[in-house]
Amino acid sequence: MIMAKRIALAQLTSCWGCDQSLVDLHLTLLEVLPQLEIVYWPAVVDYKLKDLEAMPDESIHIGLVEGSCRTKEDVHLLKLMRKKAKILVAWGSCSCYGGVQGLGNQWELKELLERKFLKADTVEDGRIPEEEMPGFTESVVPNTEIVKFDVPFPGCPPTSENTLEALSALLTGKPYDLPEKTVCDQCPKERKEKSITKFKRAHEGHIDPDKCLLDQGYLCLGFATIGMCGAQCPTVNTPCKGCFGPPPGIKDHGAKIISALGAIADMDPEELEKAFPDPIGSFYFTDYGASYLSKIRDKEREEK
Amino acid sequence: MTDEKTIKIHPVTRLEGHGELTVKMTKDGKVKDVQFNVSSTRFFEKFLEGRFAEEAPRVAPRICGICPVPHHLASVKAVEDAWKVTPPPAAIKLRRLAINAKQYSSHALHFFALAAPDFVVGPFADPAKRNVATIIKELPDVGKLALQVMKFGQDLVTAVGGKAIHPVTATPGGMLNPFSEEKRDIFLERVKEAKDWTLQTVDLAKKVVTDYWDPITKLAIAPTYYVGLHDKGNLEIYEGKLRVMNPEGEIVEDFTPRSYKKYMGEYVSDHSYATHIYYKPVGYPEGIWRANSLARCNVVDKMATPLADEALQEMRDKLGRVIHATFAYHWARIIELVQAIEEIEMLLEDPEIVSTDVKLSDVEPRKGQGVGCVEAPRGTLIHNYWTDDDGLITKVNMLVATNHNIAGIEKSLMVAAKQVFEEKAHEGLKLPDPMIE
Ligand code: SF4
Ligand code: SF4
Ligand code: SF4
Repeated sequence: MIMAKRIALAQLTSCWGCDQSLVDLHLTLLEVLPQLEIVYWPAVVDYKLKDLEAMPDESIHIGLVEGSCRTKEDVHLLKLMRKKAKILVAWGSCSCYGGVQGLGNQWELKELLERKFLKADTVEDGRIPEEEMPGFTESVVPNTEIVKFDVPFPGCPPTSENTLEALSALLTGKPYDLPEKTVCDQCPKERKEKSITKFKRAHEGHIDPDKCLLDQGYLCLGFATIGMCGAQCPTVNTPCKGCFGPPPGIKDHGAKIISALGAIADMDPEELEKAFPDPIGSFYFTDYGASYLSKIRDKEREEK
Repeated sequence: MTDEKTIKIHPVTRLEGHGELTVKMTKDGKVKDVQFNVSSTRFFEKFLEGRFAEEAPRVAPRICGICPVPHHLASVKAVEDAWKVTPPPAAIKLRRLAINAKQYSSHALHFFALAAPDFVVGPFADPAKRNVATIIKELPDVGKLALQVMKFGQDLVTAVGGKAIHPVTATPGGMLNPFSEEKRDIFLERVKEAKDWTLQTVDLAKKVVTDYWDPITKLAIAPTYYVGLHDKGNLEIYEGKLRVMNPEGEIVEDFTPRSYKKYMGEYVSDHSYATHIYYKPVGYPEGIWRANSLARCNVVDKMATPLADEALQEMRDKLGRVIHATFAYHWARIIELVQAIEEIEMLLEDPEIVSTDVKLSDVEPRKGQGVGCVEAPRGTLIHNYWTDDDGLITKVNMLVATNHNIAGIEKSLMVAAKQVFEEKAHEGLKLPDPMIE
């Protein structure tokens, strides 16, 4: 029998979907659980932050970090996890790329706070909460830019199968490498690389279930997205939005998509610009926080 | 006062969300204040601005990975309301199938993984043992039951929505993918077993209720208002009107979700990033209400399905009609679990569920404002979007399920804290021997 490995699962600001995806192993959990000694996992186990703080450094075999740093407390927990864990895994697209909340980087923190706490239609006499509150970070960046990670593990969330594969590798001491494939490589629909003269929005017309969505003019980002999920969305006639981020080696997901679109679409730049009035939302779904655009903004902010 | 004492619970565990608990005591041991500090938020209401409205249903599920289906559907309904589109009936049935499947797995998760450890292992057990992993290890039958029930719900959401966590198929005008006969047949077969498991869960819950009758009826009894959706008096989670019940048990409002702003206010407390939603006409804190399972069971006349309705009547026979006992939330959750599986079975048996007519092809974006309201497992959920002529979102207002409950949680914790710290009431409670030593 294998010795159980000490494992900690920490949630920074997140939706808990990565957690749920692990729980969704369901009956397979019965095989995995005996191999784990869970030393921190607030969703399930009653250990407190002070218990984690009291552990010796590097005493956790595997640390999984879900979510990204939206508050100062998140930064504290992230650094703590780095200190306590031997192998640190960036669990999910939030952790690897900042996640969907990175889209908030388009605005100043002040504007975000105002919208939620002062100007919301249903708020009266609003204020910015401060008592016993940790305070927010100015912007959302990938966790990998704050501390060093040993294993990047993207997905929003990674599928239960992805999670099992990664955990099994880590538990047996094998390396876990990300695949070089794209979603198109996993997709049951065959892309004919048709040249597109007009893009359709997801609600428009009828999608032909037998044909590649991109060939039909729907913005399906499978061609520029890492192939881990098994092409879940195109399989159910829904365009890929790129939630797992880019294939390994590509630094800026949206920039890659934009440059590829030039070749895919038979449209002049003005037409393309008109078709995509929201390039950030369209091309950086869960990884705007990792983009050059967002970094330039951060830099400008610092200089101010 | 400098010599007051603060007790911090950080983080609150077995909760999906980021919370801390602060109990403030005076020096003579009186509970002064109980704060539930929700310590993070992500500003969806801002960063949805400027997006294609039809993409909002893809973004919104990320608000909560435990209940992404209600967000997916409230979002698509808000866009449809703004663009004045009505999806085909078969699309609505598919959505109902998905939201009931989520209700089913979420309630099971809550009962088995979040709540049951206290009942099964005992509330004062060693934290290393007081969790669902122990249940799985030491009570393998209960563990297996839990996992199968959750799996059924999640698998069904995947079958309809493409992904269980962050489903993708609902779009303004309908559903992007029909439900195949093949899938329908598989789930028609599986639902029989699932119904069986549900009844086993009910038996387990009944035992818990009997064993823990003392704390259920004595601890944390907190009178508040209640809010929840209904359809002609029946408990409903996809589409209907909202009822408000006062602490005395009278229905004081019955309104369409579109007029929510008249009835729902958000109080921003200094100690939480989650706002406290309350009954606006009465003001805050008088108008504190609670949502979620017990609230729904309070405001409706009856359940929509026969077995669930029997279960509701049984609870009412024992505890009355307006029920303020916080622990009864667990009971109400089980009643709703039964309704969910009965609804699922009915929908699967409906021939229209495999119709391929699930999406309009002539949906036009337009300038407008729309409200989408559903019940998430934890309470009423409202998305309100404003769109421009091109169908881009210009503004968002959102009331999420959990925020209906924060003030109510504080209120019931205040009652419980006084009972525990001042009256030591927990010491006199009759508790059964734990099922696991
Ligand atoms: S990566 Fe996606 S699923 Fe995981 S926590 Fe972030 S938003 Fe949720
Ligand atoms: S449908 Fe999307 S993922 Fe599939 S082949 Fe076409 S572009 Fe690639
Ligand atoms: S198909 Fe694309 S959007 Fe869908 S889960 Fe996979 S990576 Fe994410």
